[in-house]
Amino acid sequence: MAKKSGRTIDATPKGGVKRLIFRWEGGLVLIFIAVLILGSLISNSYNAVSVLREMPKYLCEIIMMFAMGYILIIAEIDISVGAIVCLSATMGCFAGNAGMPLIVVALVCVGTGLACGALNGLILTRFRELPAMIVTLATQIIFRGIAEVTLGSGGSVSFQNAGTIMPLANMVGPIPVVFFVVVAAAIIFIFALSRTTFGRRLYAIGSNSTAAAYAGIPVQRIRFTNFALIGLMAGLCALFYLSTTLGANTTTGQGYEMDVIAMCVFGGIATTGGKGNLVGALIAGFTIVCLRIALGQRNINTQLILVIIGILLIVSVLIPAISASLSAKKKRKTVA
Amino acid sequence: MKKKKSLKEILTGSREVSLILILIALLIVVQILSGGTFLTGQNISQIFRNNALTMLMALGMLCVLLTGGIDISITSILAFSGMTIGLLQKYDILHNTFLLFVIAAAIGLGCGLLNGLIISRGHVAPIICTMGAMYIWRGLAYVISNNAWASGEDVSGFSDFGKDGAIGPYIILIAVYVLFFIVMKWTRFGRRIYAVGSNPEAAQVSGINVAGVLTKVYMIMGVLAGMAGALSVAVYASAQPNMQYGKEMDVIAACVIGGVSMSGGRGTVLGTFLGALFYAIVAKALPLVGLQAIWQNLIKGIIILVVVLLNVLTQRAMDRANLERREI
Repeated sequence: MAKKSGRTIDATPKGGVKRLIFRWEGGLVLIFIAVLILGSLISNSYNAVSVLREMPKYLCEIIMMFAMGYILIIAEIDISVGAIVCLSATMGCFAGNAGMPLIVVALVCVGTGLACGALNGLILTRFRELPAMIVTLATQIIFRGIAEVTLGSGGSVSFQNAGTIMPLANMVGPIPVVFFVVVAAAIIFIFALSRTTFGRRLYAIGSNSTAAAYAGIPVQRIRFTNFALIGLMAGLCALFYLSTTLGANTTTGQGYEMDVIAMCVFGGIATTGGKGNLVGALIAGFTIVCLRIALGQRNINTQLILVIIGILLIVSVLIPAISASLSAKKKRKTVA
Repeated sequence: MKKKKSLKEILTGSREVSLILILIALLIVVQILSGGTFLTGQNISQIFRNNALTMLMALGMLCVLLTGGIDISITSILAFSGMTIGLLQKYDILHNTFLLFVIAAAIGLGCGLLNGLIISRGHVAPIICTMGAMYIWRGLAYVISNNAWASGEDVSGFSDFGKDGAIGPYIILIAVYVLFFIVMKWTRFGRRIYAVGSNPEAAQVSGINVAGVLTKVYMIMGVLAGMAGALSVAVYASAQPNMQYGKEMDVIAACVIGGVSMSGGRGTVLGTFLGALFYAIVAKALPLVGLQAIWQNLIKGIIILVVVLLNVLTQRAMDRANLERREI
């Protein structure tokens, strides 16, 4: 049955949408290569080894990106993830300072994230009238507020037993451990999205959640799962954040939610739901990371990256929107 | 029986009335807990002065939310316009308070126009477009500032407008609120915003230029954000590129507490004012009732969540009551 519905979904929009997405990822690869060339032009030390060495700092955001992709595909949004990272990192730090071994620190981080995400999911499934934007806006302030209260008046905590968490900051040859985590997450998430019932149901919900519910898809359960999942991934992100920064403060993770959403949208995932895939988001994420490293190595005003990301973001959504309205106009003309 | 029903209807029927009652209750509690030190003229004027930015931008956000959109670029526009006029003074190019305000508003207008055109003509989702704008204007604020900032000395003449005890911020607030109250309630343009928010297709069919209304709404938001940038420089007597970072969420929260629906079509100027005031009083009252500053965000967040959830519960109760009445 899944095969059959998969075929029908593919069959209808073959001309327009599929070719566009195909072209989109092709374009992303070109932009990625352009960024690498640009990086090696403006900085002498920009090579595979140095880029990989500086990557862990930025890679922890990509861990969350996959789950955010799922959330956007079901036409929801979660802006509390930055605050979840802050809270999880804080809790992880305290666990580490209490002399816990790495496995416990990891469990505390991931568990805190999962609990926060589950709370979001619970509220959103109990109060279906509420848009995810406003609920996660409120929980964002709450989660960061809990972290602020936990951190106390100093507002920061540092990881004292650095040895505990160092295994996560290790390199395997030239490749940092977190890189393997990202690759593993990418494989699992991309496979689940394109090859499993769960993944195809996400598209169904995103295209038309009412129709999906009537077709027997447990929409509310899947919404809950997704919000819990992104909380869990935010906890994982916090764990690797801790391994690179060895500390947390009240501004930890600020703006992560927007960065992650930007990567997804730049990668071709529509916030209106039901469109896009994680391969594009993965390329987009690495493009932004490599661009950041290049500008950082050259000591170019690091805030310039904000302008570039902003322009990329707007242009990347304008192009499909304009081409869609153009093709709609053409169709209207041929009908007339 | 009849009287009770009408009282209940008054309480739950109008968002504004229930908010006013909650506000009065809150004020009484805070007044008692603080030992009668809360309701002083100085405290009240400080509440308005410290929250003038949020109150000003909440009006623009009301218009945007009414059309079913959202604008998260406002504090970036604020930073860009504020930084620009801060630098104009730092390098002694311009010191005229009125002209500086006009420039800030014009910058905001330009930014808002860009948002509006991309959203209405380019059919881009408002959150994505304004997220891009958020990055761009914040980044540009850093780039033009070149890691410097305008200090209190640089903007000394300008900050006379908003310093403690000056009436500048209050005049702007009163003027803008009166203007918006009239426009949203009694003019064609104001009613069109509601029409577009309630049902864009119906509005389009009935001859309203939906794209035009959308563009104008984001332009209004931009102008208010630009003016808030100038006001921020005047009130806090400095301009940094990171000013008011993340405060757009406060503005949205103020609107939502005031009963503005995020799916469009519902919300009033009075409600927005009350929502912003509620938010401001809570922030001001927490330290006075003995809660340390670190508890503020947690309590603010819980209040937003509770208000939003209560809203849903009362709406459900009202819907059920309506259904029951119909069955009879």
